[in-house]
Amino acid sequence: MTNMLETTKISKKFGELQAVDKVSLSFGDRSDEVTFIVGPNGAGKTTFINLLTGHHKPTSGSILLNGEDITNYDSAERVDKGLVRSFQIAQLFEEMTARENLRVAQLSKRGLTASVFSRADAYAEVESTISSIIDQLNLSNVSDTPVEDLPHGSRKLVDVGIALCLEPQILLLDEPTAGIPSDQKQFVIETIYAVSKEQGIPTVIIEHDMDLVTEYGDRMIALHEGSVLASGDPQLLETDEELRRVLLGVTSDE
Amino acid sequence: MTTNITTLVSSLDRRHFLGTGALFILLPVLPDILPGVTLGSITRGVLFGITALGLALLIRHTMLVSFGNMAYFGLGAYAAAFGATYLQVRSAILLFVLAIAAGTLAAIVVGYIISSHQDIYFALLTLGFAGLVHALAIGSELTNYSDGLSVRTELARPTFFGAELPVEVYELGIYYLAAVCLVVLLFFAWQIITSPFGRALQAIGQNRQRATFIGINVRRYVWAVFVISGLYAGVAGGLFALLELHIRPGNTLSVFRSGELLVMVIVGGFRTLLGPIAGGFLITYLLDTVRFYTDYYYTVTGIVLLTVVYLLPDGIVGTLIRRSQTADGKTSRRWLSDGPAVVVDSAKQALGWVKFW
Amino acid sequence: MTGLIPGNMLEELFVQTLNGIYYGSILFMIASGMTVILGILGILNLAHGELYAIGAYTTTSVLGYVVGISPPLSTPFGTAAFVFLVISGCFVASLLLLPIGAIIERVLMKPIYDRHELYQLLATFGLLFVLTDAIRFIWGERPVSVSGVYSPLSFSAIPVGEFQYPFYNVLVIVTAFALFGLLLYFFSYTKYGRIIRATAINREMATAIGINQNRVFTAIFALGAFLAGFGGAIFVPPTAANLDMGTTPLILSFVIIVIGGLGSIRGAFAAAMIVGLLSRWATWLYPQFEIAAPFAIMIAILLFKPEGLFGTWSELS
Repeated sequence: MTNMLETTKISKKFGELQAVDKVSLSFGDRSDEVTFIVGPNGAGKTTFINLLTGHHKPTSGSILLNGEDITNYDSAERVDKGLVRSFQIAQLFEEMTARENLRVAQLSKRGLTASVFSRADAYAEVESTISSIIDQLNLSNVSDTPVEDLPHGSRKLVDVGIALCLEPQILLLDEPTAGIPSDQKQFVIETIYAVSKEQGIPTVIIEHDMDLVTEYGDRMIALHEGSVLASGDPQLLETDEELRRVLLGVTSDE
Repeated sequence: MTTNITTLVSSLDRRHFLGTGALFILLPVLPDILPGVTLGSITRGVLFGITALGLALLIRHTMLVSFGNMAYFGLGAYAAAFGATYLQVRSAILLFVLAIAAGTLAAIVVGYIISSHQDIYFALLTLGFAGLVHALAIGSELTNYSDGLSVRTELARPTFFGAELPVEVYELGIYYLAAVCLVVLLFFAWQIITSPFGRALQAIGQNRQRATFIGINVRRYVWAVFVISGLYAGVAGGLFALLELHIRPGNTLSVFRSGELLVMVIVGGFRTLLGPIAGGFLITYLLDTVRFYTDYYYTVTGIVLLTVVYLLPDGIVGTLIRRSQTADGKTSRRWLSDGPAVVVDSAKQALGWVKFW
Repeated sequence: MTGLIPGNMLEELFVQTLNGIYYGSILFMIASGMTVILGILGILNLAHGELYAIGAYTTTSVLGYVVGISPPLSTPFGTAAFVFLVISGCFVASLLLLPIGAIIERVLMKPIYDRHELYQLLATFGLLFVLTDAIRFIWGERPVSVSGVYSPLSFSAIPVGEFQYPFYNVLVIVTAFALFGLLLYFFSYTKYGRIIRATAINREMATAIGINQNRVFTAIFALGAFLAGFGGAIFVPPTAANLDMGTTPLILSFVIIVIGGLGSIRGAFAAAMIVGLLSRWATWLYPQFEIAAPFAIMIAILLFKPEGLFGTWSELS
């Protein structure tokens, strides 16, 4: 089976800094694959995601999505093709409720937003889609609260929810547990894991908490100073000394 | 929860608009009751209410402020004047159509140019275009400099379907035309707000970046709502021309008029439907009628504005709605998204009150 | 007057150019005040035109005394001294704007700093309304001029070719240049000036290094008000103060600070001169474009170089 998303020697240089250095990776080998990208701060994780989603133009290298070369596509086009992300700092429509955040994303995806003569909540398919996503993300009791009033964890989940409403073929999540108290991190990753498995969407997650990585990851990719340090089963962490030093010695313990 | 609101609204909206319509049919009675209020000033209140509503549609969703919406009002008014003066058009309806076309067309052009700009630059661009149009009108022979143009053709008023009407009937006719426009445009505004299009606009205002990332072509949507606000202004401009029968740059195109328009929107409450209309009436009243009671009507207006800025940021109507909401114990922000439903609800309560009298 | 004889045209051009610089000098005063307030406080002060007007009206009251104490005008020395006295009088009269500005900032602006900028703008708009009536209340409906000052000022002339250019105008221009230099020096080279600019660029950091942001804001608003008032003050002696006088300078100030760059003093100066010159040349040659031209430039700048000629700075960029 061909990989859904493939990068070939992708690089990004900011002035003198080589943020991402000839990284060749592939994702989506299995349709419900959960991959964690780990690495110390500054390793290039977010930059890599930004390259995948079109936030940054690569200085060299290419990206293929389902065999199509998307290296020169802009973000909107990539979203259209099913390459969807969430953000390190939740980017939400602040005064709207969780449900409305999801609704507008779905309406936009289905091309309904140009409509002036219908009611926004009158589309049965849209409503059922967002309701099921709300349930899957365990947001049911907060779905009608304005998101700016929600706790951090719920906000990050709404962010993921918006991404899901865009009917992704592959999901890229940038530190979905960042800023969340330790006792809730597991809940967030567990929820995302469940969605990925149930919906059959390959998911790539940037994460710092190694316990979560080993428990929920099908696959782990460690980045260090812009290059791939290791790639494979998270169990590698147990055996590879250098890996342990880089990831556990340098990453902050929460 | 959403389902409840839906059923509530769909059962109410037709009655609501009929109720509002009934209200407007009765307004011409006011000049006989209140001193200092003329049919002309009520009509002006209506048409500034329309203009303010259009501007509110732009601001409430996109959070972009326009300092120049009176330019489209003025261009609409001048188009009607041109029609009468240079093209010898007698028909009021035709002049009205010309006005709407001019205001909308100008908004299409300007909107296209400015829609990709943000925040203060957007605001300053609207100011720039408004100032430019004003300056050109003052300095140009075609528009008869500061003296302005007449909407009469050889001293005769525009005709309705070919008939020349006596003054009182004409004025009443213009008033009813304005009232009908207001109700129709109010309904249209409500449609926009509750539609997917309105949601997309809201998304743009709340997080422009993310709106782009969910596939909304921000520029095009901003352009669209800007054009709509221009259309509303053009309608009002045409009505103004037909009412006043003489158009001057000072009372139509001046940048300060755009400022006053903004005041109407904010004082009423830009997140509501009725707020800008109420604001239009109130500010028009303050500037038109209060000047007969005191020389210092500017101070009165200024104080009203300052009161809203410091004490009633949601505007007068907005605050009233909010008060009634929290009394219900619901989340205080619901009315932002379900605003129209709540307006409808409050209006029903208010009309119920009136019935009680 | 569009002379057909090249010689006259050249002289007329020279005089109109000087007039343009004169007008630009006055515009610089008010625009610099607006740009400083915008750059450091982030507030677009719509009442600025009325502060300009207050400066003018106050000057008409103050200068009455000045006329009484000046030396005889028959001598060139006398004339020069008179002009100096007038300008000093303007300066003194404008000082009233300092406490006025400070009070406005404390009472009106401070409570709403954390609100959306639209409300701050509307607060200044409300202030505009109130100040307009305040002026009307204090000085009345009719235009006010400084009696006894008008004719001496227009006679105190420097010969320019076949024209006599008023010495007063020249001194105003010199004053504007001096003020420009002072402001530039203060904000770019003195410790306090740079600290103030730091406050604008990064408020949290500035507070962290112990700057009293409240005092800075009040002082800057007061300064901005003073500059506007001084503009009105030096404008008024050769003419008169009237209730509408603040409108055009306010609008032109917007245009100037956009063209020059929001928050930039250099920009305000250059753009004020450009607008002043354009305005006078247009009045001479193409009157219909007098006000339209600055707006056209403003639009062009916003579309193609939104940061203005000299760039915006502080939190606006």
